[in-house]
Amino acid sequence: MSVILILIAFSLLVAGSFLVGFLWSVKTGQYDDDVSPAIRILFDEEIVTPKEQPNSKNTDAV
Amino acid sequence: MLKNKILTETQCYHCGENCKEESVELDNKSFCCQGCKLVFELLQENNLCGYYDLQASPGKTQTLLGNRYAYLDQSSISDNLILFKEGNVSHIQFHIPAMHCASCIWLLEHLNRLDTGIINSKTNFIQKDLHIIFDHTKTSLRNIVEKLHEIAYPPELNLKELEKSEKKVSSKTRIYKIGIAGFVFGNIMLLSFPEYFSSGKYEGEDFHRIFGYLNLLLSLPVFFYSASEFLENALLSFRQKVINIDVPIAIGIVAMFSRSIYEVVSDTGPGYFDSMTGLVFFMLIGRNFQSKTYEWLSFERDYKSYFPIAVSRLKGTEEDVVSVHDIKPNDRLFIRNQEIIPADVLLVSKHAQVDYSFVTGESREVTCQYGERIFAGARLIGKPVEVLVQKDVSHSYITKLWNQSSGKSETKSKYAHLTESISKWFVIVTMSIAVGALLFWYPTDPSRAMLAFTSVLVIACACALALSAPFTFGNMIRILGKRGIYLKNTKVLERLSNIDSIVFDKTGTLTSTGNYKVEYFGIELTDIQKQFIASIAHASSHPLSWMIANNLSSSNNKLPTTHLKEINGKGIEGCIHGRFVQLGSRSFIHVAEAQNENVKASEVGVSIDGKLLGYFYFKTSYRQSTSSLLHAMKKEGYKISVLSGDYNFEQSHLEELLEQKEGIQFEQKPIDKLNSIKELQSQGIKVMMVGDGLNDAGALLQSDVGLAIAEDINNFTPGSDGIILSKNFGQIGNLLRFAKSGHRIIMISFIISIFYNLVGLWFAVQGTLSPIIAAILMPISTSSLVVYTVLASSIKARSLGLTKMRA
Amino acid sequence: MTIEKFSYDNRIVKNFALATIIWGLVGMLLGLIIALQIPFPNLNIGQYLTFGRIRPVHTNAIIFAFVGNGIFMGLYYSLQRLCKARMYSDALSKFHFWGWQSIIVLAAVTLLTGHTTGKEYAELEWPIDILIAIVWVAFAINMFGTIIKRRERHMYVAIWFYIATVVTVAVLHIVNSIEIPVSILKSYSAYAGVQDALVQWWYGHNAVAFFLTTPYLGLMYYFVPKAANRPVYSYRLSIIHFWALIFLYIWAGPHHLLYSSLPDWAQSLGTVFSIMLLAPSWGGMINGLLTLRGAWDRVREDVVLKFMVVAITAYGMSTFEGPMLSLKSVNAISHFTDWTIAHVHIGGMGWNGMLTFGILYWLIPRLYKTNLYSAKLASFHFWIATLGILFYAVPMYWAGFAQSLMWKEFTADGILKYPNFLETVTQIMPMYKLRALGGLMFLTGAITMAYNLVKTMKQGTLNAEEAAEAPALEKNEKEHAGHWHRWIERRPVQMIILSAVVILIGGVVEFIPTFLVQSNIPTIASVKPYTPLELQGRDIYVREGCYTCHSQMVRPFRSETERYGEYSKAGEFVYDHPFQWGSKRTGPDLHRQGGKYPNVWHYHHMIDPTIMSPGSIMPSYAFMAENDLDISSTPAKIRAMQTLGVPYPEGYDVKANDDLTKQAKSIADDLKKNKVSIDSNKELIAIIAYLQRLGTDIKASKTE
Repeated sequence: MSVILILIAFSLLVAGSFLVGFLWSVKTGQYDDDVSPAIRILFDEEIVTPKEQPNSKNTDAV
Repeated sequence: MLKNKILTETQCYHCGENCKEESVELDNKSFCCQGCKLVFELLQENNLCGYYDLQASPGKTQTLLGNRYAYLDQSSISDNLILFKEGNVSHIQFHIPAMHCASCIWLLEHLNRLDTGIINSKTNFIQKDLHIIFDHTKTSLRNIVEKLHEIAYPPELNLKELEKSEKKVSSKTRIYKIGIAGFVFGNIMLLSFPEYFSSGKYEGEDFHRIFGYLNLLLSLPVFFYSASEFLENALLSFRQKVINIDVPIAIGIVAMFSRSIYEVVSDTGPGYFDSMTGLVFFMLIGRNFQSKTYEWLSFERDYKSYFPIAVSRLKGTEEDVVSVHDIKPNDRLFIRNQEIIPADVLLVSKHAQVDYSFVTGESREVTCQYGERIFAGARLIGKPVEVLVQKDVSHSYITKLWNQSSGKSETKSKYAHLTESISKWFVIVTMSIAVGALLFWYPTDPSRAMLAFTSVLVIACACALALSAPFTFGNMIRILGKRGIYLKNTKVLERLSNIDSIVFDKTGTLTSTGNYKVEYFGIELTDIQKQFIASIAHASSHPLSWMIANNLSSSNNKLPTTHLKEINGKGIEGCIHGRFVQLGSRSFIHVAEAQNENVKASEVGVSIDGKLLGYFYFKTSYRQSTSSLLHAMKKEGYKISVLSGDYNFEQSHLEELLEQKEGIQFEQKPIDKLNSIKELQSQGIKVMMVGDGLNDAGALLQSDVGLAIAEDINNFTPGSDGIILSKNFGQIGNLLRFAKSGHRIIMISFIISIFYNLVGLWFAVQGTLSPIIAAILMPISTSSLVVYTVLASSIKARSLGLTKMRA
Repeated sequence: MTIEKFSYDNRIVKNFALATIIWGLVGMLLGLIIALQIPFPNLNIGQYLTFGRIRPVHTNAIIFAFVGNGIFMGLYYSLQRLCKARMYSDALSKFHFWGWQSIIVLAAVTLLTGHTTGKEYAELEWPIDILIAIVWVAFAINMFGTIIKRRERHMYVAIWFYIATVVTVAVLHIVNSIEIPVSILKSYSAYAGVQDALVQWWYGHNAVAFFLTTPYLGLMYYFVPKAANRPVYSYRLSIIHFWALIFLYIWAGPHHLLYSSLPDWAQSLGTVFSIMLLAPSWGGMINGLLTLRGAWDRVREDVVLKFMVVAITAYGMSTFEGPMLSLKSVNAISHFTDWTIAHVHIGGMGWNGMLTFGILYWLIPRLYKTNLYSAKLASFHFWIATLGILFYAVPMYWAGFAQSLMWKEFTADGILKYPNFLETVTQIMPMYKLRALGGLMFLTGAITMAYNLVKTMKQGTLNAEEAAEAPALEKNEKEHAGHWHRWIERRPVQMIILSAVVILIGGVVEFIPTFLVQSNIPTIASVKPYTPLELQGRDIYVREGCYTCHSQMVRPFRSETERYGEYSKAGEFVYDHPFQWGSKRTGPDLHRQGGKYPNVWHYHHMIDPTIMSPGSIMPSYAFMAENDLDISSTPAKIRAMQTLGVPYPEGYDVKANDDLTKQAKSIADDLKKNKVSIDSNKELIAIIAYLQRLGTDIKASKTE
């Protein structure tokens, strides 16, 4: 079963690297505001030239 | 599309408020006021109507704007506000209380369409902050602020902003700790399960040693980093010779850790690494859950948060704008309508109308004559005036008022917490059991004695102790927050549960500010007379006159008035159909001061052709919930008292409300209020102060629990332990009941945990506690307790009807 | 700093979308074919189109071609917008696209021509494995490059799911594909037996986790809010959901091997973690469904949302079922039956399929600046697809449960009620037919979609370069002094790439010793390496994909020991590169097949199964009697085995073929005695040799 050791080693490394990712994201304030990001993705920036009929993409349903 | 949400015509397309008959129409959308229409037009011509897509009528009613932001052109001031400059790019951060929905975020992040000078604007919804990056060669701070004001998102600009100490960033270390603990916990479980399930033996080579050391390695960061706060606090409390909750936890952790190391190194077992890391993980989550804070709400706001940043100072004839900090005694200031006077001053103009509501909570305005003294915090109403500064801001009366209440904070922190007192006993008991087990086994079987000793410490973990309070209170504070009752922290809940006396402020607390009952005493008025009075009153700039007008305006066709003359602070007079109508103070309408002397309520006399008809009185009206609340509180055995800064002309009314004569005091100065709280406390009574206005600030801070009433959460609230929306005033009773129930819930959960501990101890004292038992017992006990506390508190909230209210 | 103008690359999105549609149709069609081959065995045509060969093509086509391209489509669209940046490199995008498509084509060709490693979902041979690794790395660089160049500081949760996918899949793929090449298109897994099984299912489960789940959760978190035009129900929950999932998912593998020869503790481990997974999985489902709360009125008319609702529901169902199946008691019934098939198709058709359809219907009209050609057709697709799933799943659950009970049923006097395996198969034949119908309905839906979308594309014009503008990412005001923060910003990416590299190096370093040392499976003295002929026969067994219908794992239940014989021991598989335990019993288990029937039985059975067992649905392998066995490869194979630690004597590789021909001769003679004349150099001889060897080693050691 020696292979289990390798699998554990790999799993630990992967999980570990994600732990680092987690710490980083907290450190750099990724999660300081956990409301607006969810809303922000709904804004599709279209270049609007003043005359154009304004409507943000996300609102015309299929 | 949300855009298609149907709005009843009467609702303002922009802000959703009901439009009065004079609603404004624009391409078949109706608006409640010009302001809202303006905003809509502004957005429309800038292709910002996506604003309305995300939420129906997301706007706020918006107030028309004077040139009140002129001072922002002063570099001395703007430089203080701007975070930093780089080349021609400036960064600034505003607090925008009006931010409340998806559309707000959308609009605020598209500001560059309104002002091309703005490069980027990002919101932080949690903090209600707006971070703007702009090109100060293309636009100015003033422009931006005025734009924000136009679209009804006025930023909070006040004295506090100037002395902006680094914005408090909620510490992230606990999140790190939780993340690491969680990660390690998961991995150690992986490596520990084999041991449990294979009943110790493996096919082929034995992995458990490798796993054991791996666990040891993994658990190091948990012990030395994640668990550090428990260990340090424990040490600290040892030094202070007091046992706090962290002591039993620390003992448990250390015991587990050292025992585990021993087992692994001596190859006698797998150790308790999983239990230990799990414990730390849950504890940290509990702590985190408990420290629920309303970042966008500040409980420490002091008067500075409401003072202007700058005032205009007169140098000879020309005026310049200076930061409030720079005003010195003997400066001459020019104060405009609605501006707050920042320092104690002497009036240099003939007379002025000021309103101390900001200081006293009582919104009656006072007329000051030339040379009279006006205290800082007064708001000017009507004509602009000149004043002469007497003391600089930091020495003003209001500042003293503030400092009186300083230094009280530790009286609260000294408050003994439920858990503290219990944890003392917990430590004593567990320790004695452990030692007992040690002594019992030592003679016969020394190795087992050590085993039993450590086992007891390992299993008798204080998790219930440490978790039930955080989760109960944490959950309660959330429930309350959803219902418009915002508490500073969970300690407030604990204190609430032992309150035995409630002190109310009157005006603005028992009564609702601004909404007066107009009562007329005197000769019956004919309809035509009413019309005359109404017409005159309407012409006046004085709030009281408007109230009269509204009160009388059954038929609002105004009659033409001639010879109209208003004397500030006195009254107004004019001719209608050749009849001479006067409205104002006694002196104004030339009536002998003799009659009903004692009446000091706000009053306006009315005379036609010099003949006194009668007086209009303005009585504050009590909240509907007031009487029922007071009644209930008395029934539940709370000692009720009322402290009013007002005159005593409503004493009788109050007495019948309270069904008691004693405990009602009038004409209380802030310092008096504070002292009477002190006095109560000196009798060992736990006092809750309920008030608004700055005049209650001292009392609020002095009391064991200071609850501030606010019409709108962004309005002025003095420093306090909790803020309650005025419409939930009636819920104060429930708040107290809720707090008490929290106490009970925790006690019950302790009993449950004792049961678990007994089971564990049963094995422990015999020295037969295996890691798997610990690993099973620990999660079960913790999770079941968490579930119980959270459920119980939620159910209690429902039964109290707290869940029905809305914030 | 000013506002930067740039454009989104929509062409690459379109390409992946087309690939998704095309490969989807192919994969589903193949699925339908193999579904029909069971009730109608004559549909197994010649040697290239047998069930055993098409089935791997089906699974690979659906997972890596249909879902794979679906992932890339959604990822390339959403990532650009979430990062407010164009993809890092158009060249890499193109390389990724064409690389991936060529892999798919190569896979189809090699698998049909019988070049397979015989490890489920990792059947592709080593050269393609390497190609996959290269393309994947290119994709990773392209993705991380985009993330680094992003103009939006916050990394939306979907991006994290993408990162998890890219990193983990790379590692899984490499670890599982370590193999010793024998020839350009033949290799042996570096691991043997139990170890191979463990690695395979560590990979197998995580393939499900990180290829079929995490990326699709990422897509869900982007496209569901977009389609509903409302923010995700709780963003905080989604964050917690992600990290919890990431820290748990990687462990759940071993539950695929319950009751196998895998050590107990490894099995239990898998179970426990699978069950713990329920929480984070449902976190995702709840979040997805609640996002649509209050929008149900729109769900009624908006077909896109309809698809998504069904998809999320299916996700909830299968993530609930998964942990249940990993409970030993449930698994005892479900394993090796069609229950598993039903389970994976709830996930595949429901979760992956329906979400992909929903995204396509939302995306194509936007890419082409037009409206959907026909909403009617779309909702027809929705309904027939939903029905199709039901018609597929319900019969399969029924079949699985019923058959399992028949396998386990004993008569009053303690003998198996259905001693003949074939009976249990014929019993559930109607279910197989119904399942095929369900598949047909699902495919029909997909075809209408293809038509609908093509029409949509025709009526619009591709907005290949979608103009956009955003201010460059400004530094945190906290860090506005100095430039070190820029580096910090890139660190997660560097960290993750770095750790991936470390993992690979570390891995290689770990492997060499591990595989030179004698593996520590309790070795059974009587277990000997395969003879050259048996080895060749085994390779034919692998080539024909026999493992897709026959297990080689007798579980320790009375019902199985009665039916097949002594239960399988870990020690018996030490020379199995790769392991052939299989995961489904359409036919009986073969681990104790050796010596059960005479050679001649096997001969006839291979030529035409129905002669020996009337009503058998096994394909005819008559062509084996024609094909000559290629013995030129024998020395290389022996050498490869030796490097993997199989104790063939020194220099045996050259002598091997003598033994081979000797053994072949004896079998041919034995057949001749039974009036069957066949040259000893035919493949059929080799496969018989292998089958007769299966599981005999410990029989020999036992005194019967």
